Amino acid sequence: MGWLAPGFLLGALTIAVPVWLHLLKQSASRPRQFSSLMLFEPQRRSTTRRRRIDHWLLLLLRIAVLLLLATAFAEPFVRGHLPGTAPEKLLVLALDDSYSMHAGTRMEDARREALKVVDAKPRDTQAQVVALGSRADSLTEQVQDAAMLSTAIRGITATDARGSLALLASLARTLAAGTRMPIELHLFSDMQATGLPPDFNELRMPPGVTLVLHTVGAAVTPNWTVESVAAPSQVWDPTKTRIVATVAGFGTPEATRSVILSINGRTVSQQSIKVPAAGRASVVFASPEIPYGLVRASVQIDPADALGADDRYDFVIQRSERVHGLFVHQGSDTSTGLYFRSALESAADAAVALEVVTADQLKNRDLSAYAFVVLSDVAGLAPAVEQRLSTWVRAGGRLLLSAGTAAAQQKRIPVFDAPIVGSHDFTRDDIRFAAVAAVDDAYAPAGALSGWQGIKIFYVTRVDAPQAQVGLRLADQTPLLLEKPLGQGRVLLFATGFDRLTTDLPLHPQFVAFVDRLGSYLSGRGSRLSALTVGDSVNLRPDAAIHGSVDVLAPDGSHPLDLRQAAQVRTWPLPGAGFYALTLADSRHDLVAANVSRLESDLAQATPDTLKLWKASSAEQVAQSAGTTTVTTAAAIGRKESAHNLWWYAMCLVLVAVVAESLVASRYLNTLRDSS
Amino acid sequence: MQNLLDPKVLNAISGLDLVAATVVDGFVAGLHRSADFGFSQEFAEYRAYAVGDDLRHVDWNVYARSDRAYIKRFHGETNSQLMLLVDASSSMGFASHEVSKLSYVRFIAAALAYLATRRQRDATGLVVFGDTVRDFVPPSSRQGHLQRVLASLMHAQPLQTTSYAAPLTHLQAFLRRRGMVVVMSDFYAPPADIVRAVTPLRIHGNEVVLFQVLDPEELRPTVDGSSMLIDLETGAQLEVSEDYVQGRYRERIDAHVADLGREARRAGIGYHLLQTNQPLDQALLQYLRLRTGRD
Repeated sequence: MGWLAPGFLLGALTIAVPVWLHLLKQSASRPRQFSSLMLFEPQRRSTTRRRRIDHWLLLLLRIAVLLLLATAFAEPFVRGHLPGTAPEKLLVLALDDSYSMHAGTRMEDARREALKVVDAKPRDTQAQVVALGSRADSLTEQVQDAAMLSTAIRGITATDARGSLALLASLARTLAAGTRMPIELHLFSDMQATGLPPDFNELRMPPGVTLVLHTVGAAVTPNWTVESVAAPSQVWDPTKTRIVATVAGFGTPEATRSVILSINGRTVSQQSIKVPAAGRASVVFASPEIPYGLVRASVQIDPADALGADDRYDFVIQRSERVHGLFVHQGSDTSTGLYFRSALESAADAAVALEVVTADQLKNRDLSAYAFVVLSDVAGLAPAVEQRLSTWVRAGGRLLLSAGTAAAQQKRIPVFDAPIVGSHDFTRDDIRFAAVAAVDDAYAPAGALSGWQGIKIFYVTRVDAPQAQVGLRLADQTPLLLEKPLGQGRVLLFATGFDRLTTDLPLHPQFVAFVDRLGSYLSGRGSRLSALTVGDSVNLRPDAAIHGSVDVLAPDGSHPLDLRQAAQVRTWPLPGAGFYALTLADSRHDLVAANVSRLESDLAQATPDTLKLWKASSAEQVAQSAGTTTVTTAAAIGRKESAHNLWWYAMCLVLVAVVAESLVASRYLNTLRDSS
Repeated sequence: MQNLLDPKVLNAISGLDLVAATVVDGFVAGLHRSADFGFSQEFAEYRAYAVGDDLRHVDWNVYARSDRAYIKRFHGETNSQLMLLVDASSSMGFASHEVSKLSYVRFIAAALAYLATRRQRDATGLVVFGDTVRDFVPPSSRQGHLQRVLASLMHAQPLQTTSYAAPLTHLQAFLRRRGMVVVMSDFYAPPADIVRAVTPLRIHGNEVVLFQVLDPEELRPTVDGSSMLIDLETGAQLEVSEDYVQGRYRERIDAHVADLGREARRAGIGYHLLQTNQPLDQALLQYLRLRTGRD
């Protein structure tokens, strides 16, 4: 016998209260007047201290109530099960439905094993069926009905999701927190080695959970896969496009495989590569013929093996015309435009055609022909020109301003509409320069670019723009890159120049990446990915301010979102492999490709030692918590001992004692009333 | 007769003078059947009239028959003095039944005063004391004096604590004639201290008698379980157990009574324990014994 909450046994000390009250009753009798206390002896213990307790039965009942209450709260338990009762526990059947369960008869074997466990289950034992893939889905409540459990098990099919055995431990912790019963957790899985977490501690079961592993499938199953494809997500000139595909074999012999590149379902290229045994090889598709628009591209192995979904890698390429940008500089500054254009053209994609003009030439330009405009340290902008720029931005244009030494002489930043509160020439300080100290990784133009700390900023213009989003910030908290919306467009402010006088950024390799990011961001091309993995979420509402309806067209032609989801959902996880046509909230159309995680392609099972260690650690936890014995066969379920909580019986005894106390107290009260 | 001397019966009588008359008359009626005692009204002898004798005492019947004037003399005609010292401290207000100790003392004092004044023609005085002398009626045998004594007794209320030294010292200044001093109290003080305080009253040959008046509950208290007792004089509280009251306390109160009686007798002082549920004849009888012994 043990106690689940032994601290409550301290409550037994409260029995002093009724004892004291019964003694107090003796002393609480009505005071009597007496002629003289001269002949009494107050110092004698027998005179004043000796108090007799009346109503012994009542006192004992009251003590019993308190002791039983303390006992009930301390939750006594006995090991094993009470005579005439079945061992109380919760049976959890977790079936792995990850992509690897497609291989061979793994899913069928898992279902069959699970049904065996259900059949062997004692009738009054509660059980729950859980499908374990990239997340744990409870398919039933905790029920005793074997038919309901069997139906749920038969309904489980393998998905395209990636499996994680660490998720099982998380599930066990959740279940253990929600039930007082010991849990017997059965896992039916192919026990993929790639499903194991890097840290073994993530697999540890919580106390009270007994893990039973049911391994299905062979230890090693050969499998081919297109492991990865490196392709640009956006192209404007297919002649410069290169698509690199890597084909891998897991447990496979050396073989020559045919690899096909398909564009919109049409084979555009096919190559053969020799893949070493259990190795990988790459193939390059150069200058493929890519039509304009969003293109469905695939690289697949021909012929596919038994596990076909990972023999194909889908991705999306968007082909568009080059966008045009306008770079405006002061007439005296001839180098900045050169730097900026060189950086843009050096980028891998180089989808932006940049026109460099002086500030005087700006007034003759039709801004609607440009995707973005860069004003490089331009001072003395004519009000009419500024008005034209503002109108253009409000209509959806994107403007980048740099505030170098010339712009800092003005009182405000044009279009950005923020007052200049000062400037700082770091070369006059001892430190000579400032460095970027904070980068907003979520900010597309600057985030995820490394090496900012090595950039020296010699001069910065300080503006008062508390409402602006800050992408870069110097060590003295001066904002370096700011952005704020204006109408339907956006205005970015680089609070220094692009010249070598105000910063050494043009001398660093990061300048090319930064300008390329700026170009992509300003031209509205963004940084879309060519392919996603099953389970990844797509953002259906890039602009949270737009509350339009969204839609998803799944690879099988269905629309998985219901009306409520179409009106409210913001992100949506991709459930399976294939192309998904998206209608975003702003009515734009997009196309994404989802592929099975290639971690699922390696069908090698975890080593027996690893599984043995996992089970041993689980049994250790259980033994520590309740002293039960781990039995890993379904037939032994009915014989397993468990801790049986006795709090209910203690509460019943409390009830009996309370009733008895009430009766006895009532009798004493009547006696007292009669005597008075 | 006993019924008329029952304190409970007397308690129902409103006037203290009537109580006194009832007690004494009933008591005397009972004593007439006894040959041991005589009263001053009983004839003793004739003595020839001498100048200066009170004409009220001349037996005019004898004078009519014999033409000689004789003075009729009675037993106990020797004038004496009775001083009644009544303890009216708070503890005397204790009562476990209808008659408190002070009421009982009033009855005794009234009866003694009546007996002494009306029957014995003795001068009777009264001292009511607590820790000080609260009322003092000088001894006198004048007509109407009895009413004054009775009135003082009626007005005596249980107040203050008890102190024997101060009142008795005060009384010594007024004891100029030989007589009797009756001290009525519950005597909750060490016996030696009481006797030490009372002994000086025996100057001039006074007879001193202590009437210790106690309630039966004081001698044999009954406590159910434990009880909180409050001292009537000091207000002190003490929780006592039933076992103690029925054992140790009884031993102590018995010892106290015995000690007081022994100490009093050793000092030549009379002592009597009176319980408030007992008839009053014991007190009267004691008075007459002493009175007779003095004649």
